[in-house]
Amino acid sequence: MKPAPFEYVAPTTVEEAVSSLSGCDGEAKLLAGGQSLMPLLNMRLARPDLVVDLGRVAALDYIRESDGRLAIGAMTSKRSVERSGLVASRQPLLHAATVLVAHPQIRNRGTVGGSMAQADPAAEYPAMAVALDAELRVVGPDGERSINAEDFFVTYLTTALQPAEVLTEIRVPVLAPGSGWAFTEVARRHGDFAMAGAAVTVTLDAGGHCADAKIVLFGVGPVPVRPRGAEQAVNGERPGEDLYRQAGRKASEEIDEPLSDVHASAEYRRHLAGVMVRRGLAEAVARAAAARGDA
Amino acid sequence: MAVEIPKRLEDLPTSARRWVGRHVQRREDAALLTGRTEFIDDVVLPRMLHCAILRSPFAHARVVKVDTREAESLPGVVAVVTGEDALRWSHPAITAPDGWGTHCIAAQKVRYVGEPVAAVAATSRYEAEDALERITVDYDPLEVVADPFRAMEESSPLVIEEKGTNVMLQRVFTWGEVDRAFADAAHVFTEKFRWNRVGANPTETFGAVCEWDPMSLDLTVRGSIQSASHFGLGRAATFGLPSNKVNVKSHPHGGSFGGKGGTRGTDIACMLSRKAGGRPVKWIEDRMEYLVSGGSQAWDRHYIASIAVDGDGRVTGLDVKLVDDLGATGEGYGAISAAKPLAAFTGPYTIPVARYDLTLVATNKLPASPYRGMGPPPHFFVLEQLMDIAARGLDIDPAEFRRRNFIPSDRFPYTIPSGNEYDSGSYEEVLDKALDLAGYAELRRQQAAAREQGRIVGIGVASAIEPGVFDWNAYAVVGMQGTGVPEGATVSIDVLGMITVRVGFAMEGQGQYTLVSQLVADYFGVEMDAVRVVQLDTQSAPPSFGPGGSRLGVAITGAVLGACERIREKMCAVTARLMQTEPANIELRDGKFTVKGMPGAEMSVPEVAGTMLARSDLLPPDVDPRPEATHVWTAPGRAPADEEGRAKSYLTAAQAVHVVGVEIDPDTGFVEIFKYVVCDDCGTRLNPAVVEGQTEGSVAQGVGVALYEEYVYDEEAQPLTTTFMDYLIPTVNEVPAMEKVAVVTPSPFTPLGAKGCGEGAIHTTPAAVMCAVNDALVPLGVLAREVPAAPKRLWKLIRAARD
Repeated sequence: MKPAPFEYVAPTTVEEAVSSLSGCDGEAKLLAGGQSLMPLLNMRLARPDLVVDLGRVAALDYIRESDGRLAIGAMTSKRSVERSGLVASRQPLLHAATVLVAHPQIRNRGTVGGSMAQADPAAEYPAMAVALDAELRVVGPDGERSINAEDFFVTYLTTALQPAEVLTEIRVPVLAPGSGWAFTEVARRHGDFAMAGAAVTVTLDAGGHCADAKIVLFGVGPVPVRPRGAEQAVNGERPGEDLYRQAGRKASEEIDEPLSDVHASAEYRRHLAGVMVRRGLAEAVARAAAARGDA
Repeated sequence: MAVEIPKRLEDLPTSARRWVGRHVQRREDAALLTGRTEFIDDVVLPRMLHCAILRSPFAHARVVKVDTREAESLPGVVAVVTGEDALRWSHPAITAPDGWGTHCIAAQKVRYVGEPVAAVAATSRYEAEDALERITVDYDPLEVVADPFRAMEESSPLVIEEKGTNVMLQRVFTWGEVDRAFADAAHVFTEKFRWNRVGANPTETFGAVCEWDPMSLDLTVRGSIQSASHFGLGRAATFGLPSNKVNVKSHPHGGSFGGKGGTRGTDIACMLSRKAGGRPVKWIEDRMEYLVSGGSQAWDRHYIASIAVDGDGRVTGLDVKLVDDLGATGEGYGAISAAKPLAAFTGPYTIPVARYDLTLVATNKLPASPYRGMGPPPHFFVLEQLMDIAARGLDIDPAEFRRRNFIPSDRFPYTIPSGNEYDSGSYEEVLDKALDLAGYAELRRQQAAAREQGRIVGIGVASAIEPGVFDWNAYAVVGMQGTGVPEGATVSIDVLGMITVRVGFAMEGQGQYTLVSQLVADYFGVEMDAVRVVQLDTQSAPPSFGPGGSRLGVAITGAVLGACERIREKMCAVTARLMQTEPANIELRDGKFTVKGMPGAEMSVPEVAGTMLARSDLLPPDVDPRPEATHVWTAPGRAPADEEGRAKSYLTAAQAVHVVGVEIDPDTGFVEIFKYVVCDDCGTRLNPAVVEGQTEGSVAQGVGVALYEEYVYDEEAQPLTTTFMDYLIPTVNEVPAMEKVAVVTPSPFTPLGAKGCGEGAIHTTPAAVMCAVNDALVPLGVLAREVPAAPKRLWKLIRAARD
C-alpha cells in the first residue's frame, strides 16, 4: 500500500499546472482531492511519472452565479457545494446529487473537478452534469475551450480531456421556473457508489402534460446513459403511475448490457434502472406540479 | 491458602459500593481519544527495518523458482526471505485437527491467493514494496478447488497432498435417541441453509515488530496480539525454540473480534530479523492484505437441518448436518468454530436429543479464522429459522412457540444434550421484557395493516445463548488438547496506599482496565484513580490468556478479587499482631481494618501497608511482608470431554431475546430495519456502560453478517471482495437505533455472579434479522435460506414468487 516512485509538483496557477503537464515526457496525473487517485497510487494500479497537485491553485475554489448559471471552480470541495445556500436555492438537483456522494469526510476532500475528470460511471456528478447540460471549461497549452457534458464523458474512467489539459470550471444552468427534478439512486449502503441511479428533469405544460423530460441513468453503462425512448414516451403524456412504470420499463430495455459484479448482476441492474426511472419521474413530476402551484 | 472469592456484589467489603456494577466511564478513553495510546505502528526502535510480503496471485500452483537477486541488490534492502528460509528455520503451523498446517512462506506450492512466497526487509516500507516488484516467481498453475463438495470428490485436486484427502474431519455426534425422536415426532421440518463467508474487521489490522537475536536466539515480539502467552507458545513451537526464549509484548490494539491472527506475518518478520543480524523488523498488515490473506474470514457453511416437534408444539429433537469450508489449511483455528456450537447446541430450549453431522473441508480459499461468537451465530441462525418454520407449521405465534420450549428457570443448572451445563437463566422473563418493550401485539397489528396494502413487513423474535468463559475442552472434538484457561493478576499496595495491578493482557477495547480499577477501588475503599493497571510481557506477567471466548471480564474479576482476598488475609494477620488479637477478630470494611466489637480500634489500608513495607521486624514470622499478592483464577470443575464431545466447557450461559421489525422494498429487495429491541441477561453487570457498548457493537456486526457482509470467490478461488468497496461493513447509517432492556440473573458459579458478555448480540442478531425477513416473506410463500440476505437475493426470491 505504498505508491511506486513518482515526481511531484505543486503549482499555484493553472498556467503552471498546464506547463508541468506539457513538459512531462511520461505519464502525468493531476491530483485534486485525491479520493480516487491516492488509493490507485497506493495499490500501484496507477503509476504516473509525475503527479501535479492542484491543491495550491487557490483560484479554482469558488461558487458564483452569473447570467442564469452557476459557475463552480474545479477545486471547490463537494462539502462547499453541499453547504452553499446559492446551490441549494438555485440548482437543488446539484445539491441533491452532492449529498449522495460518499460521506462528509470524503466530501471535505473530494472536489467537483476531480469527480468529473475521474468519470466513474457509477458516480453522481457525471450524471448530474449530463442531466443539467453542464458546460465544462478546460485550459490547455493552446488556451481555453469548453466541452459539453455529454461529450466530456467518453467511456469508463475516460474523458475528452487532452493529456496537458486542466479542467477549471463547471457551469450549470439554474433551475428553470416550473421545472421539476429528482436525483435518486440505490446503493448497498448510504454513501456507496450506486448500483443504479437516475437524474430526472421534467416540466408540465399548460394542459398538465409532461414536457421536456430528461432522464440520465448512472451505474448502468460506461458513461451516463440517456434513455431517449423513455424520455419520448413521457413527453406529451398525462403523468401517473402507469406512465412512470412504462417509462421505467422502456428505460431498462434501452440500456446496453450493464455491468455485473458481486453486488448486482446485469439483469438486476437493468431492473433497478427501471425502478429508479419510475421513482425519479414520480418525484420530478410532483415537484413540477408544486412549482406550478397546483400541488 | 484457600481463597473465597465474593460471589455477589453484596459480598464486597464495602458498605457503599461506588464503582462495581455502576455505569463507569472507561479510563482507557482519554488516551484513546487524544491519540496518546501507543499502537504497534507507533513503535519505532533503533535500526528498525520494514517488511513487505510478496503474495501469490494464484489459488493453487507449484512454485517452480523464486529469484530474489535483483531485489537484494536494491538500495535500502537489507534482507530477503523465501520458502527455503521457512523450511530451514521453521516448522509448519500447529493446527486442530492436527497436521493441516503449512510453513509461513510457501515453499513448494501455493494453496490460496495471498499466500506469502517471499518477503523483504528494507529501511522503509516504500523500498520494501519496490523490491517486491523485482522478485520473479515462476508458477506452474494447478487445478483449483473452490467448492467444498467438489473438494470431497475422489477426483478433486488435493490442497495438502500428504493428507491424501481434503476432508479434515468427518464425524457424527449423537446425543440421545435421535432416530427415535424423529420417528415418533408429530411433525418434522427440514431445510437447507447457506451461510456465506464473513469475518472480523477490526479498525486496526495486525502488526508486529520482531527481533530475533541470531546469537542467543532470543526472540522478542511486540504486536497487536490478542493472547500474548498463547502466541508466544506458538512461536516457540514454530521455530523450535525453548518457550522461555520467546518474549511477547502485546500492544493496545484497535479491536480484534478474532481477526488478530498475524502468525505468518510475524514469523516472516522474525526470520527477516534473524537474517538482518537481529535488527528489529516491523510488519504492518495493510487492509488489502488483511482482507485477502489475514485473519479476516470465517464460517463458510452449508447446512441441512431438521427439527422434530410433538403435537403440543414441543421440540423433541434437533439434527444438524454441517459442511464447513475451512480454506487451505487449519492454521486459523477455523475448526474450533465448528466445535463451539456444542457448548449451546440446543440453544435456550429443552430439546432433549440432538445430532451433529460435522464435515470440515479444505479448499483453495484463505484459511478460516475466528470471528466474534466463534461459530454459534450461524448455528443459531439455522436453529431459529427452524423454530419459526415449525411455529408456522403448527400455526403457533413464534414468541409463544419459544416460550413453550424455553428451559424453565427452576431447572438450572441445566445440562444440554451436547454436554455443557448452563449456570442460570430467566428466559421467559427476558422474552416478556423484550416483547413489552417492542410493543409486540401492536407491531403485529401494524404488520397486518401493512400487508393489506401489499407491503412486505416482517417481525422476528429470536433467542440465543452466549456461552461465556471458554475452556479448551469445548473444542476437543476437533482435536484441541487440554483443559484450563488461567488468568492471573498481581495486586500491590505501596506505602501511600496507592495500588498497582499487574496483568498480562493488552487493552483491546472491552474496558477491562477500567473493570480492574473498579474492583480494587471498591475492595479497598479507594478512588479509582488510586489504582493503576500495568501490563507486563509474557516473561514477567502472571499466567494469562487474555481476552477471548467471552471470558476476560469474569476471569480477571476472579483474579483481581482473589489477589485482594490474599492481601486482606495477610493484612488481617498483621493488624491482629499489631492490635494484639487474633486474625479472626479483624475485619476489612470500607478501607479500614477494625477489631470486631471494638469501635475505634482500626488501621487504614495505607497504615497496614506502610507498616509491612517499613517494619518487617514487627510482622508475624509466617507472613510474607509484601502488601502484595498474585491470584490465578481458572474456571472450576472443567474436565476432558467424553467420546461424544460432552463436557462442562463454557462456565456461563448468557441469554437474549431480540425483536426485530423489517420492511422489504418489493422493487429492489432492500431490507429496512424499523424496529430493534434487545433484552439480555448476562448475570451481574459489572460495568453496565461497557456491556451496553458491547451489545451495540455486536448488534452492528450481526446486522452486517445478516444483510451486508460476504467474502466472495470466483470458481478459480480468486477473491472478489478485496476492499471495503466490495466487502460491505454496515456504517452508522445502516445499523438501526436499538432499544435495550436487561434482566439480571446472577451466575451461581462466577465471581460476583457475572457472565461472559463480550461476544454478545451477534449470537442472536443474524438469527433475529433473518427471522424477520422470513416472516415478511410468508405471504409470498418463499424462504430466504442464505445469509447475507443481500438485495440481489431477496429481489430474485420476490420475483420468483410473483412470476
